[in-house]
Amino acid sequence: MGAGTLTQAPPVAPPVRSRPLRPGRERAFWPFLLPALIAYTALFVAPSLFGFWVSLNKWSGPGSEMTWRGLDNYLALLTNEAFRTSFVNTFVLAIVGGGLVFGFTFLSMVVLRHIKGRAFIRSVMFLPMIISMIAVGAAIGFLLNPEGVVNSLLTGLGLDPQPWLGPDLVFRCIVGGLVWSSTGFYVALMMSAADSIPAHIYEDAQIVGATRWEQFRHITLPLTWDVFAVSAVLWVVNSLKIFEIVLAFTTAGTPGSPPMQARTVAVQQFSMVAGGGVPDLGSAAAMGVVVLIVTAVLIALTRRITRRDRVELS
Amino acid sequence: MRRLIGDVLLPRVTAIALWAWVAFNLALVGWVGLQSLKESGEVWLSPFALPADPQWGNYASAWQAAEFSVAALNSTALTLLGALLIVALAAPAAYVLARSNRRAAGPLTGYFAMGLSIPLQTLVIPVVVVKLSLYTFMEDWVTGWWDNRITLLIFQVALSLPFAVFVLTGYMRSLPHEIEEAAEIDGAGPLRSFVRIVLPVARPGVMTVLVLNIIGLWNETLLVLLIAPLPEERTLPAALLNLYSSMQYSSDWGGLFAGIVILIYPMVVLYLWLGRRIVDGMTAGIGK
Repeated sequence: MGAGTLTQAPPVAPPVRSRPLRPGRERAFWPFLLPALIAYTALFVAPSLFGFWVSLNKWSGPGSEMTWRGLDNYLALLTNEAFRTSFVNTFVLAIVGGGLVFGFTFLSMVVLRHIKGRAFIRSVMFLPMIISMIAVGAAIGFLLNPEGVVNSLLTGLGLDPQPWLGPDLVFRCIVGGLVWSSTGFYVALMMSAADSIPAHIYEDAQIVGATRWEQFRHITLPLTWDVFAVSAVLWVVNSLKIFEIVLAFTTAGTPGSPPMQARTVAVQQFSMVAGGGVPDLGSAAAMGVVVLIVTAVLIALTRRITRRDRVELS
Repeated sequence: MRRLIGDVLLPRVTAIALWAWVAFNLALVGWVGLQSLKESGEVWLSPFALPADPQWGNYASAWQAAEFSVAALNSTALTLLGALLIVALAAPAAYVLARSNRRAAGPLTGYFAMGLSIPLQTLVIPVVVVKLSLYTFMEDWVTGWWDNRITLLIFQVALSLPFAVFVLTGYMRSLPHEIEEAAEIDGAGPLRSFVRIVLPVARPGVMTVLVLNIIGLWNETLLVLLIAPLPEERTLPAALLNLYSSMQYSSDWGGLFAGIVILIYPMVVLYLWLGRRIVDGMTAGIGK
């Protein structure tokens, strides 16, 4: 995965100017850069490569012997029921969640340009982004408890109470929680692009008789398509590492470890490391590498799907 | 018909839905505050009523019984220290990356940006291995003791660097060119002129990155559970998770909500104070 797959890498520094080099700043180049560069290389890039190495071995941690397994860890993942379930879950979260998040985002974009109190709506929708999902999960988990408020409401309406956080429904609650917490971010992202569209275009459209929906469809969306493409990539990257919200929703309903139906790859990996017994680090590391590869493939795919001729205002 | 749907029905329904969404968010934040002041029975029996008699003792009990005092201290120290370290490392690096004429600057900027697309899962196993080895290594050979909180701090800083460098490089590039000249005329060494001239000009961007990292580090959970899960080491999200999972035995629900408030409200206050800047910072370099 090369540079700038997530976002366009900033343009390269301008070519050497004919003016003499500024000695002070250029002398500072390495001293200023090295601390960050070394920290990033030693503690981020090198560990990632080490994880790749571990994934090719059988290993239960420092102090024990490492034996070469080649691609066997990866082949074993293919037949590993737990991994397959967690992988499918992660995938479903990414696709279904993504559809809902961007569906809501687009709908809000239809009205958020002109509605009263739009700045307020945008900032309050963004709020879940900055608060801990663990705390939110605990609070909502209280409402969804078997004897909780939601169920007493349902009983009051003459409906059957549901085991919301039980193994069968919890995954849907997680998708819902995820959509609720992330939509505000993508609305902020897309609207910051939509804000820069000049108002006279909409005025013209109004005169021609375009409805709000048509204005969104034919003006806002095409002109913010670039940002949508980046948002979609960002969603893919973020949705593949979902962890906290699963833990938050499953801690109450099912003591112990999260049920299989709700596990994402990150959760599965975590339970393999923290779950006790002799840890199989090789295979857990292989999961991480698989996620990295899937991320890369999905980014490429998302870019391909969202590629379109750029619409620019002349 | 087309007009009815596209101009009336769709916008109306969406507007109502958006306001409902907003109301839910606000109600949730207010509601956890009210719940945290109720007795445990009241929390269950009248979840939407105002607290009959505010139980400030819930905070005391969360503070003591659930070891929130230690966790709050850990969270505060790690968050502030971590955010400052991130900015201290990233700001000078971003400055030279953004302003240098060297050919290496472009590829190195890309090298940092690469970290944005590496998922944390790839790092889970290495992080655990480094944590264990570092602990034994320091204890056996160097200092004779070690604290996993230091490992946690180190990784929190390292893993936040790509985003900080990426955003700050973009920001530094947008600064006026005069600052270099001012720095030159100043005649002081590079470090002094950076601190005295560049940083004051770049303050808004640096502050934004600082605040974003404060939010990120405060809420970080996976790294804490991996590196420092013990009661005396962990931070607030891990402590709350622990309190939550013990609920079916202790059922101190008022205390649980007090814990939720301790975790959520500081960030809400920060958001009320710096909201616009936080949103702009999080969407920086992407939306524009």
